[in-house]
Amino acid sequence: MRRHPAVRHLAGRLAATLLAAAAVSCAGDAGGADRAQARSIRGNVLVAAITSDPGHLNPAITTNGGVHTAADLLYDGLVSLGDDLVPRPALAARWAVEDGGARYRFTLRRGVTWHDGRPFTSADVKFSFDSVLLRFHSRARASLGPVLLRIDAPDDSTVVFQFRRPYAPLLAQLDVVEAPIVPRHRFAGSDPLRNPANLAPVGTGPFRFVSYAHGAELRYRANDAYFGGRPHLDGVVLRVIPDGSTQVAALQAGEVDWLFAVPGPERARLRRDPGVHLRQSSVSPGGSNCVTTIGFNLDRPLVRDLNVRRAIAMAIDPVQFVERVAFGNGRVATAPISSAIAFAHADRLAMPPFDTVRADRLLTAAGWLRTAGGTRVAHGVAGVRTGTPFVATFKVMSSMTPYGELLRAQLRRVGIDLRVIPLEPAVFAQSVFTARDFDLSIAPYCQGPDPQVGVQRMLVSSSIAPVPFSNMAGYRSRTMDSLFDRAGAALEVAERRRIYREIQELAVRDQPYVWLVETTNTHAYSARCSGFGVAAHFAAAASCAR
Amino acid sequence: MSRRYLVRRLLQVIPTVLGIVLVGFALVHLAPGDPVLAVAGEHGDAAYYAFMRHRFGLDQPLPRQLVTFLGRVASGDLGFSWVQGRSTWALIGERIPATLLLGTASLLVALAVALPLGVAAARRPNSARDATIGAVALLLFSAPAFWLAQLLILGVSVGTGLFPVQGMSTAGSDLSGVPHVLDVARHLALPALALAAQELAVLVRLTRSGLIDELERDHIRTARAKGASERAVLLRHAFPRALLPVLTVLGARIGHLLAGAVVVEVVFGWPGAGRLLLTALETRDIPVLLGLFFIVSVTVVGANLATDLAHAAVDPRVQLD
Repeated sequence: MRRHPAVRHLAGRLAATLLAAAAVSCAGDAGGADRAQARSIRGNVLVAAITSDPGHLNPAITTNGGVHTAADLLYDGLVSLGDDLVPRPALAARWAVEDGGARYRFTLRRGVTWHDGRPFTSADVKFSFDSVLLRFHSRARASLGPVLLRIDAPDDSTVVFQFRRPYAPLLAQLDVVEAPIVPRHRFAGSDPLRNPANLAPVGTGPFRFVSYAHGAELRYRANDAYFGGRPHLDGVVLRVIPDGSTQVAALQAGEVDWLFAVPGPERARLRRDPGVHLRQSSVSPGGSNCVTTIGFNLDRPLVRDLNVRRAIAMAIDPVQFVERVAFGNGRVATAPISSAIAFAHADRLAMPPFDTVRADRLLTAAGWLRTAGGTRVAHGVAGVRTGTPFVATFKVMSSMTPYGELLRAQLRRVGIDLRVIPLEPAVFAQSVFTARDFDLSIAPYCQGPDPQVGVQRMLVSSSIAPVPFSNMAGYRSRTMDSLFDRAGAALEVAERRRIYREIQELAVRDQPYVWLVETTNTHAYSARCSGFGVAAHFAAAASCAR
Repeated sequence: MSRRYLVRRLLQVIPTVLGIVLVGFALVHLAPGDPVLAVAGEHGDAAYYAFMRHRFGLDQPLPRQLVTFLGRVASGDLGFSWVQGRSTWALIGERIPATLLLGTASLLVALAVALPLGVAAARRPNSARDATIGAVALLLFSAPAFWLAQLLILGVSVGTGLFPVQGMSTAGSDLSGVPHVLDVARHLALPALALAAQELAVLVRLTRSGLIDELERDHIRTARAKGASERAVLLRHAFPRALLPVLTVLGARIGHLLAGAVVVEVVFGWPGAGRLLLTALETRDIPVLLGLFFIVSVTVVGANLATDLAHAAVDPRVQLD
């Protein structure tokens, strides 16, 4: 029988497909056995899931959480910060604070080598700051740039930071997240943003780079010559899995060993799995000690009255946010500064209590009267036409929309109508911080290791700028500005604690924000692995059973 | 196929691609959101953002940016990724093979399942078998790819352990040769199935209706009168002609397939170009976004052109249009 060409072509395709299907199904039958075999081959290698493909592996040119998650294992800072945020020697063996806090002299650890065998010296530190960090690492540039006079390297093992005035928080800004040190011999004379070493990195960290399959996985092996001692793990594989639910399924199926963050709704499922351990931490490479904060736009007449802001704060039940939106990943914030920054966190502050009756009274006294429809209307409110209903625009990053929905429900009870507008991050940043087109908004302010890094930017007037996560409220207070100046220059912890208490009392009194939830991350890991550390070098002391 | 027809169709490709690229450029630049805030990260100061804006050429007027971009595209240069600092060509080139593999596999799965089902349904229209096949096709067509993908992961991967949950190969494995091919095939099975579902549904219904139409035509009656077996009538006389609309739709579905690949790649952690597109969109990495627009538009236009040419080759009446 002569076949029509289309049929012949089709038959060929069908045969090929069936063959492939057969191959797949044969391979599929062996799936369970393969999985056990893969685990035993994997042995003492950790497979960690990461959410995004980092694109490059140079943490000194970006604050991007994805890059830091992937690359920090390869590098070091002058100091390292533990969960307690106390600076410990890393590339710097010791340091001395001189000239009343305006000069820091670091003595570098001897015998440290880069992964390519070249010696690490003070020239690398000076180069990293002068030519890379202070130009491209936005946080280092914004915080150190204005106060740093110069960095000197008088000999191979000494580095001196000279400031214009006493500067207290420096040590908290020198770990691998805030200031990773990169090799001068690889970067000198090149454009750091396009240097080939961004893709084949050479660091001093506990792991060495092996390979990078873009979009798929990165492979590292233990640095035998690591100054902190060779890691227990033979290697680490970072697997790019964008979807949170897929990450959880992969952990349960034994394909990965470590998740940096478990989506809230998935936690219950993992808690029942005996092969998985869970751990809470307020530290993550993308940002640590984050406090979900509602900001009032103080330029808007709607929320300019302190009593209105206080009423809104009182109408909010933060416990519901912790339970229903954060799925228990966090605790109610009891002060503007996170309790994880223990030395600066103020306890027993007079935060507005959850009290809808008082909130009602305050709103009525402020000229917002209840109507039959439920929404309050203005009556003699400065800057608002009488009869205007209390409808506030609430801009929110799309990932945080559930916060908006719950807030709308809670404020509805006191007669405030919230128009929730979810925006993707790039649009949110422009709309809220550049255009300042909102009445209320919410953002996860990550406060970092020191209030000068992550809290100052939301409260001082010089931070009212078109910059993401700056002073969202547009809050101006000379007292607040000078308190932060004093806190930045005070060297004694007791003195700093006292000033930060004043700062927090003033912030609560003026209420430009409502500090809602101190969020934490749930890390999940396979029961075959143990010994995980915090954030940046989380795998340096870990091991996995064969 | 006449030469004139061929040249005319080829010439139509240029303004089409140019139009798509221009629309893409306008959309990307007019969309709300500041690329510098997205790319350069938080915590900067105004001077830092101005510095980055200058680096990216965003301080230039939009028409000048357009001219620069078109000049680059004309010389085959898609620029550098703002986020990754690497050549856009290299970036996209690394991801295209994975998407091609996924797309081709799902198309083959769709064809391999849809054509026999379509034929089976058309043989006895309105029978119980036809109704069942129709219902399954409707179900597959209505199921969103991300939902189906999650269902496959939970039901098949985690439930039975037969197929891996994510990725294109086993994490950290150094397989090569046949074991590597089998490893990739195991990883490919579920994503390909999830992506194939909707195409499959469309193709089943199309094959069925095409075949039913065809079976009522005069030449089929003639074939039957000449004593051809029912099998020969169906497969030799009716089926090849019923494939014409399938072929046409197949070309048009390539764009749809690429769109579906974005979702499936994200859910299964498949390292393809779809995921790159999503990341570039989130980070406003404009050179990568425009590069992908360009390549995808050329692919879709190319697929449509190939379909037209194939159609013209099979059915000579087409080129008279």
